[in-house]
Amino acid sequence: MLHHLSAVWTARHFLLALVQLDLRLRYRRSVLGVGWSLLHPIAMTIVFTVVFSQLFGDSNPVGYAAFALAGLAVWGFLREAATSGSRAFLQNEAYIRQSPMPYTIYTLRTVLGQAIHSSLALLIVVCLLVFWKGDPGVLVGVALAIPGMILALLAAWAIATIGAFINAFFHDTAQILEVGCQIGFFLTPIMYRRSLLDQRGLGWVVDINPVNLYLSVIRDPLLGGIPSAEGLVQLGHAYAAALVFTGVLIGLATAVVSWLQKKVIFYL
Amino acid sequence: MAKIELTDVSIVFNAHPQKRVSLKEYLVRGLFRPSVNPPMRVHALTGINLVAGDGDRIGVIGHNGAGKSTLLKTLAGIYPPTTGTRIVEGKICSLFDIMTGFEPEATGWENILYRAYLQGETPRSIRGKLDAIAAFSELGAFLNIPVRNYSAGMMMRLAFSIATAIDPEVLLIDEVLAVGDLAFQTKAQARMRELMQSARLMVMVAHDLVSIRQMCTRVLWMAHGQILRSGPTDEVVDEYVAAMHRQAQQALAA
Repeated sequence: MLHHLSAVWTARHFLLALVQLDLRLRYRRSVLGVGWSLLHPIAMTIVFTVVFSQLFGDSNPVGYAAFALAGLAVWGFLREAATSGSRAFLQNEAYIRQSPMPYTIYTLRTVLGQAIHSSLALLIVVCLLVFWKGDPGVLVGVALAIPGMILALLAAWAIATIGAFINAFFHDTAQILEVGCQIGFFLTPIMYRRSLLDQRGLGWVVDINPVNLYLSVIRDPLLGGIPSAEGLVQLGHAYAAALVFTGVLIGLATAVVSWLQKKVIFYL
Repeated sequence: MAKIELTDVSIVFNAHPQKRVSLKEYLVRGLFRPSVNPPMRVHALTGINLVAGDGDRIGVIGHNGAGKSTLLKTLAGIYPPTTGTRIVEGKICSLFDIMTGFEPEATGWENILYRAYLQGETPRSIRGKLDAIAAFSELGAFLNIPVRNYSAGMMMRLAFSIATAIDPEVLLIDEVLAVGDLAFQTKAQARMRELMQSARLMVMVAHDLVSIRQMCTRVLWMAHGQILRSGPTDEVVDEYVAAMHRQAQQALAA
């Protein structure tokens, strides 16, 4: 594994140049530039805020908007890592056939691009919070969420890598993942708050949902600001759970890479 | 010090008549009905042994599908051996599939960078070479526009200029390429010769027996994924030509 990572490090110039290109292409040739790609989560947030903030009994529209946008950013990142990430080998086939670079740089290309993209959405959340709360506690929240983002990045890289290897053998994987994500969206507390399910005794739906782990180490500290002693303990638990789950994903990805990296080229 | 050592290398993989196997097919086959898309074992290389060092110029000949390109890709590290071991020391430059793997939306300049990084250059080491690459390609101001607007010939010029800009220790060439228009071809051939001379070790796949005789010190004759003959250039090539003649005559008679 260390050997593999050092090979990824050697390929960093290639990787970063392509990530830069992807971002520039994404934001170029449009009047709004960066704005276009943020339009989707922002439009969703506005709709959610107008429609659901009343429905779900949330009387503070700005707070709800920050909650929804942060959730959408984290969710969108993990979804794209799984779906676009699993197409990474097919998209980079020409490079794979030409050069013996480690395969994981191609999934990292997708994941890094998405990470930067989603960070922009989170930046808007921070702006909303500053505007809404206007106190420096927001910065504490940001600091508490940053390790969570790093965990999410590692998890996304692992998921994308597993998906890409399976997708090379079974091309229906990407489609299955897309349908799964569509369903998962409604089972994850993104547009509603968890307490809503708890009231109806459905809290377990959230407990078994791994996406919630990353929401609780990114979105929750970000929105929470300076935590109380009790909140800090809760956050600690959330981090422990996210750390374990990310570790499991990385272990799985490592196993998949060492098992399939010598076979996959014949199936591309 | 450049070195190639293949010990008993074999490459075997499954190919399917229809390229893709769906998950459904994978689960259903054998359980309920015989597969309509049964896998076929392809023995691309079988028991290849090859040792080469500084100064060797190896030509690889054989009919289509004999495993010549597979051998090159194995040397380049792209195909991992199913069994056996591969040791290649030295900076590798591989000249095959150079037309693929352009980012169509990026400019010529940017693609030069991506390619160079792919070949193991760093931002520092490439800085001095950029102008030379651009000058050799003769694309001038076209380097500022996206590669998707290039003609096939322009693309080829760019690909060739980048691929041959590094100083390789191990040079792997598949089918010396007909590059661009006449003027560029002459220039490209001169560059190829220069490269072949400067590389410490070269392996070249070609159907053009004349250039094999000119360039190579040793020849491998491959058939069905195996090395049929290996030895001094003229000896093996003569034998190969004779065998091909016999085959052609038999085909005519039949």
